[in-house]
Amino acid sequence: MKGMLQGLGVTLKALTSKKVTTSYPDEPLQMPDRFRGIQYFIPDLCIVCNQCVRVCPTDCITLTGKPNPDPEKKGKVIETYDIQFETCILCDLCTEVCPTEAIVMTNQFELAAYSRDELFKDMHWLSANDKQVRADNNPIGAPGKGGGK
Amino acid sequence: MGFDLANVTVEERKELERNVFVGTLEQLKAWARSNSLWPLTFGLACCAIEMMGTGASHYDLDRFGVMFRTSPRQSDVMIVAGTVTKKMGPLLRRLYDQMPEPKWVIAMGSCATAGGPYVKSYAVMKGVDQIVPVDVYIPGCPPNPAALIYGINKLQEKIRYEAKTGKRVTAR
Repeated sequence: MKGMLQGLGVTLKALTSKKVTTSYPDEPLQMPDRFRGIQYFIPDLCIVCNQCVRVCPTDCITLTGKPNPDPEKKGKVIETYDIQFETCILCDLCTEVCPTEAIVMTNQFELAAYSRDELFKDMHWLSANDKQVRADNNPIGAPGKGGGK
Repeated sequence: MGFDLANVTVEERKELERNVFVGTLEQLKAWARSNSLWPLTFGLACCAIEMMGTGASHYDLDRFGVMFRTSPRQSDVMIVAGTVTKKMGPLLRRLYDQMPEPKWVIAMGSCATAGGPYVKSYAVMKGVDQIVPVDVYIPGCPPNPAALIYGINKLQEKIRYEAKTGKRVTAR
């Protein structure tokens, strides 16, 4: 009898407690700031240093550059930049190694698709993915942004 | 009990349109099927932890009628969560064959989609779509529970769309 009352007490306490379930598809889910989501790419900042391609553990990034169309300036500008999200494991290494913060993480995660072809994202798609960009981006190599200490 | 449809007044017609839904039997079946997707738990690696987390109270897959079954004969959808090795492949195919029609497959995570971090391995299958037809691919390593819910919602949309239009979402 005493045990049953104890059990009922637990049940009644749970009735008045706060709900834990998120209402995710109805309301957008706010992920914490260090969440590793789909990358956002800024083509103007990219210097075609190829470091993200070399560091990628699954070789899912491919890029090509071309000489700067302005003859006054040195260096290269980006021509194509593709990420294959079939194999991308969102490990954050490409954003960590990028010296100009041209590629950064966002809090987006909604990427499910009906075919594997849809998971191949090009430069235009990645630069349009500019919502909820992560604020803290491990600016290890970017002295202008507080890194390189 | 006859109802003369030829001589309904405008008010009656409006009332009818408000209260009677017209659709095909296929659409009704798709509505019922998409709202009671019972997945076969196919947890193979770390994605299984996220799948379990999605089933637990914080994300609560029961809200969508998704209730995990442990037998392939009682399930409609197989959530392949994790790395499929070449040794596991034939067993996965057998479990898929044991599921009753209609059946769907969700490839959860990079490993089930394309091999993921083991893409250069000799022992890992480069995507579960080599052995079973996959309906929805969810990338991520592992995808967080909300991404799995998004993928399940995409599958529900696909079931309803295919019943409504009779077309396939993707060419297989």
